[in-house]
Amino acid sequence: MMLNFLINPNKFNILADIIFKPLLIIAFIILILGLILVYYSPLDYQQGLTVKIMYIHVPSAWLALLTYAIMTIYSIVGLAFKIPFSFIINKAIAPIGAIFTTLCLLSGSLWGKPMWGTWWVWDARLTSVAILLIIYVIIIFLNQTFESREVKEKTVAIFILIGSINLPIIKFSVDWWNTLHQPASISKLSSPSIDISMLKPLLVMTIAFSLIGLIIAILRIKAEILIRKRDL
Amino acid sequence: MVFLKKIFLFIKRESQIFFSNFVDLCSNILFFFLSIFVFVFALGADEQLLRTVGLGIIWSLLLLSSTLSLRKFYEEDFNNGVITIIHMGGMSYELIVFFKIISHFLFVQIPFLASIPIASVFFNLPIIEVYNLILTFIIGSLILSCLGSISSSMNLLNKTNFSIGSIIVLLFSIPVIIFSVGINNSDSNFNNLINLLIGIALIFLGIAPWSSAAFIRLALRNK
Repeated sequence: MMLNFLINPNKFNILADIIFKPLLIIAFIILILGLILVYYSPLDYQQGLTVKIMYIHVPSAWLALLTYAIMTIYSIVGLAFKIPFSFIINKAIAPIGAIFTTLCLLSGSLWGKPMWGTWWVWDARLTSVAILLIIYVIIIFLNQTFESREVKEKTVAIFILIGSINLPIIKFSVDWWNTLHQPASISKLSSPSIDISMLKPLLVMTIAFSLIGLIIAILRIKAEILIRKRDL
Repeated sequence: MVFLKKIFLFIKRESQIFFSNFVDLCSNILFFFLSIFVFVFALGADEQLLRTVGLGIIWSLLLLSSTLSLRKFYEEDFNNGVITIIHMGGMSYELIVFFKIISHFLFVQIPFLASIPIASVFFNLPIIEVYNLILTFIIGSLILSCLGSISSSMNLLNKTNFSIGSIIVLLFSIPVIIFSVGINNSDSNFNNLINLLIGIALIFLGIAPWSSAAFIRLALRNK
């Protein structure tokens, strides 16, 4: 199987050692390229310079959701097929998701002060993302709580499954409720309601952010595998 | 017949335990009333203000004070081995959890129900809001019992971090609060919200025995 590295720690280690340094260089280049593109991107006619916060806000929001989705999939796989590697991944990438969610909330708040005139509103999208942050923090705490490893892993996995109810709520909150937060601009693949000159740096920044997240995830997963091997 | 007798004896035992700890239950209710007083002292005795925020305060304090006694949900039975004995007597863990939830609902949440009208007098709530509050609390407290069962069975082997159980209950009770308090904001979709609440209650009545039993088995294996 080609995709064996997704469920086998040894194969994952081998692959990670091969791709780690090229990934580091590529991520660095793409990040620099993205920052240059963001620097030269046009200003918004209403928002002015603050539109550039969007190039950090949107990728981190997407990656916060993506991290949780990956954790949900791995929880299902781990509980159903009893694959221990999925619990390693659950433990390793939860803090990354928490960091991305915090980044999303902070940048949104910095944008909201000059644009909406307030740091925080009790808007459906903002509240559901804040709840996502709380769920991430609870997952991190649960990972520190129990003594027995089996109890810890399964508890965290079941909690992740129950908490994944929040994902569709975040995604559709701008459509279901009448919110201050603007609806999605990119998801309509046929005709995105964002200009191409702004879409290009956004996509480059998204790729750069996901590569950085992937690099940190590889480091954390490898460290977690080493911890498991020491404890055995 | 034997099976019904078993269930009857189980509930009778629960009632005896709860009534032997009657003071504990009373102190939960006292906590509820005292925190209402604290809220009133903190907000000031403005009658109009208290009437607008009263419903939300009563609901959130009901939530907080019913999470006070959550740690006792399974812990004594688990530590002195009663849960294993009942299981060997021919009841599955799912069934034990189900009747445990029912008895918790009967003996812990229903006394809170009796104290709601008295609490709403303090806030001068209109009678229609008191009626809605009681109706939603009957459904919502069943959900709270299910959540309490899940979180306390999750924390059976947790020796260090005690407050995480209450945090989980508070986290998952957010939709209950939204729909219960939302009933009073818009009178047009009263039926929709009640149906949603009943739906959530039925979902949790389905999920809670299964997941709590899984947690109890896990805890018994690793004890």
